[in-house]
Amino acid sequence: MSAARVGILIFPGTNSEDETLRACRAAGLDTALVHWNADIESVRAFDAYVLPGGFAYEDRVRAGAIAAHDRLMSAVRDGAEDGKLVLGICNGAQILLESGLAPQLDGTTRPQAGFARNAPLGKFRSTHVHVKLAIEPERCAITAGLPPGVVIPCWASHAEGRLAAHPDVLARMEREGRIAFVYCDARGEPSSEAVPNGSALGAAGIVNGRGNVLAIMPHPERDAWTFMHHDAARERARGSASAMLEPSGGIALFQGLAAALAAPVRVPAAKREEGGR
Amino acid sequence: MIRCIEVSLAIPDNEARTALDTLRRLGITLSALDRSDLYRCEVDDEDAERLVATFSGLETVYNPNKHMLRVRESARPGAGEVWIDEITAGRADAAGGFVRVAGRTLGGVRSLERFTAWRLSVAPGRPAADDVVTAATETLLCNGAFQKALRA
Repeated sequence: MSAARVGILIFPGTNSEDETLRACRAAGLDTALVHWNADIESVRAFDAYVLPGGFAYEDRVRAGAIAAHDRLMSAVRDGAEDGKLVLGICNGAQILLESGLAPQLDGTTRPQAGFARNAPLGKFRSTHVHVKLAIEPERCAITAGLPPGVVIPCWASHAEGRLAAHPDVLARMEREGRIAFVYCDARGEPSSEAVPNGSALGAAGIVNGRGNVLAIMPHPERDAWTFMHHDAARERARGSASAMLEPSGGIALFQGLAAALAAPVRVPAAKREEGGR
Repeated sequence: MIRCIEVSLAIPDNEARTALDTLRRLGITLSALDRSDLYRCEVDDEDAERLVATFSGLETVYNPNKHMLRVRESARPGAGEVWIDEITAGRADAAGGFVRVAGRTLGGVRSLERFTAWRLSVAPGRPAADDVVTAATETLLCNGAFQKALRA
């Protein structure tokens, strides 16, 4: 088990903390749940943060908007600035974009993008998806230990997962390697059919410039054991409890987090360009 | 003609209360914050009156037990107000089809824009000044990356 301690932050309305905790622990991480009323100094003591899915503050105003201003986020902001690793999943990803921690072009902390209501109908969708690593693994500390182009199965479960931003911002995000994951089919081929929400650039995951903050919309922790899979792997494991309970698939992202905390990788700064939005 | 239908809660609005508390924590001093849903419709003259009746019958939009519905005199934000809309959602034009809300076709409606309206007050009956509205808008009420804010 890594000596690093990971705090899973719980806001009022968060609902995926237990699955996330289990996935972190299965990856060997020393993990604890942190409630919104925790002593802020104890929150600052963690080495990394995971913001799980749910409906923080009932998604009032906008998904993630109120939580982005929660006192817990001051520890996350300071930690991210110090180079600590931050992983946001689903509602956690929405919070990271609303707080400006990703994509953080030009180092600004104002929101430069957001996850808007799904296209075309603006409705909640819960569906199995695959996401593909779309950057060089080393570009993001959490993915540095993963194979290039790795395909991870997940569950998309959201009403606001469509990456939306000014066209100039989207162009910069693409150019500067901020689109960490894109939706794809099971073979790893990106296509519009694989995108469950109309997300710009087919984006499923966004990384900041330093590569220490990753926001991913679909849930890898909900497809992190063989019995959860929707492919032949589950059929092959049928009849064997140990095989069914083997961590696999989405667990890769948490193993990446564990590897990054065990042997920190120096992540190159994102290429900066002048005159951007 | 333009008709602007406003639907607001008659019961306490938890969302507005949460937003008010958050803005106060962020240093923006307000005495009250009210929220409503706005439907700005371009409608044929002869269908204008029917439009109100249609909205009154949309149970998922207007529940008379907890909502108030009124036709606004102005189709623009008033003092202390900001209207939020998604840039990418756009306007539901009726060209080639029908404008629908909550599964119902709105007869005679040529286009429809939906907004969330926030009304900021610094004292009872005193709308917030423009700079306060701007600060609240930019800090919390609008994510300019994919939303637009209409102000007075």
